Amino acid sequence: MSSQEGGAAESGLNAAAASTSRSAMNDGDVLAVTIGATVPTGFEHTAAEEVKEKIGVDAQIGKDRGRIYFPITTDKLSQVHLLRSVDNLFVVVAEYDHYPFKESKEETLTEMMQLASKLPWTDALAVWKLNGKLKKRKGYRKGGNVTKAKSNCEVTDAAVDDTEQPKLPQALSAAGSQTKAESTAAMETSTTDSEEAETAAKLLKFRVTCNRAGDRHSFSSNEAARDFGGAVQEFFQWKADMTKFDVEVLLNIHNEEMVIGIALTEESLHRRNISHFGPTTLRSTLCYGMLRLCKPQASDIILDPMCGTGAIPLEGAIEFNSSFYVAGDNNDMAVNRTVNNVCHIQKRMAEKGGASGLPIDTIQWDLCNLPIRTGSVDIVVTDMPFGKRMGSRKKNWDLYPSCLREMARVCTPGTGKAVLLTQDKKCFTKAISRMGGLWKRLHTVWVNVGGLHAGVYLLKRTGGVFGQTPEDVYESRGTVKACGDENSDKELA
Amino acid sequence: MKLLTHNMLTSHVKGVVKGYPLLIKATEVKVNEVDFNPQFVSRMIPKLEWSALVQAADELGQREDLPGELVPEYENNEEFLKKVHRVLLEVEVIEGVLQCPESGREFPISRGIPNMLLNDDEV
Repeated sequence: MSSQEGGAAESGLNAAAASTSRSAMNDGDVLAVTIGATVPTGFEHTAAEEVKEKIGVDAQIGKDRGRIYFPITTDKLSQVHLLRSVDNLFVVVAEYDHYPFKESKEETLTEMMQLASKLPWTDALAVWKLNGKLKKRKGYRKGGNVTKAKSNCEVTDAAVDDTEQPKLPQALSAAGSQTKAESTAAMETSTTDSEEAETAAKLLKFRVTCNRAGDRHSFSSNEAARDFGGAVQEFFQWKADMTKFDVEVLLNIHNEEMVIGIALTEESLHRRNISHFGPTTLRSTLCYGMLRLCKPQASDIILDPMCGTGAIPLEGAIEFNSSFYVAGDNNDMAVNRTVNNVCHIQKRMAEKGGASGLPIDTIQWDLCNLPIRTGSVDIVVTDMPFGKRMGSRKKNWDLYPSCLREMARVCTPGTGKAVLLTQDKKCFTKAISRMGGLWKRLHTVWVNVGGLHAGVYLLKRTGGVFGQTPEDVYESRGTVKACGDENSDKELA
Repeated sequence: MKLLTHNMLTSHVKGVVKGYPLLIKATEVKVNEVDFNPQFVSRMIPKLEWSALVQAADELGQREDLPGELVPEYENNEEFLKKVHRVLLEVEVIEGVLQCPESGREFPISRGIPNMLLNDDEV
């Protein structure tokens, strides 16, 4: 590519280059980039497993919790959007394992500002643009000032394709002056492609989001975002807009590690299945993580005895659809919401063609007295009441032992499993410790649910036949009294 | 409610010994199209109470020619597996009642959801 000089010459060159560069992009200029993904804390390994399984690459788990990174070629981008364990996606512009932050705030921030113009933005921006067609949108933003015509877009293409870094700002600022003249003419030409409208260089709006963790930084995340953002704005001549942005630049700092990225998801992917929410609906990415943990097999019967809005069994019925899900709750609203959510998904599936029938049923029942045959369930997966958002701590003392027993009864001895999420770790641990004859603790994943620290407990059903284990001497109903315990312990001796 | 689910449901009314299988009295039944997965069906069969399944299908008038006994070597018998698939997953009770065979207690089904909640005195 020849170097570009004057404004007029530039526009001519750009127009010519653009028509070829656009077709070059469409022919599949495949780029190799690193994608970053935020996942529910605690499920980083599960997410990495899914990436290996579906994208075929190894993922690195970021030092700051809740993030994984993996390399892709851009032809895989649409598949990345189908991952079920990720909340948000971004493309990495640059990553530093040991960024030498200076002692003083001023020096550090100045350096960061200088960094903005030196970063390899091109590839990441190309991915951002490609992604524009793939990501889910909140809805096309209407606006009187969005008047795009081909000329503007061509300039953008040329700018984005320009691999010579120093040329980039020049092309863009020239584009700016060029398009101003043409924009009035552009108003008359109709645009059919909304993508082009959004990616026009002139009106690209951006914001910088900074996440900072570590106790040895001299600056705050706000300061970093502000200064880095200022430098980005000057470099690209974009317009800063905190709410209606096209490009979201991410600045993630964790101790000495710094990652700069561009967001690829507009709204978090985690609310995908649920249209009818309840007070404690779990995000689907967390549901997926819990299900993966119990490794559902073909024809497994999977029970959620306190399903709420059905988030867990629904995610299972969609993603691990060779198993069968039985969802239940005692609450009227909950069972109705579950059925509504199932119908909503089935309708969506029917619209896409093909048989719509999810392997799930919903029942209204009392979980301490399940109307289910003994030993007929393979896996129990559920979100147990936390005592803060639902139920109460006192209720949990009685509830947990009762339902753990009932779950043990319906679960197949020897092969059955349970994956239980709870925030009331003390109550749960105590209840489980008295059930060694029925349940064995395998593994615990510590997660964050709506700001609350919770545990996902993976349990294995022992071979013990229900009704014949030592625990069956223990009365599960009623308040537990210390002397009552002593008596039953004596009986066991 | 699909018949696969019905196969697992039992009456838990206090004092009842023989609460399985629940009798079905349906006023609205739907038959949907569900993707056929032969492996799913053949692995599910050993987990079922076969006679209860046949009885339930009969009660709904959906039995067709489902045999009263399991055919030997059904794992590779696609025709048979398809019949089982239909009865297990495609037939759905939308409105009706489930009845405890011993106590006669009825549990309503509405919008496909059986309500198995008991009153305090029945627990």
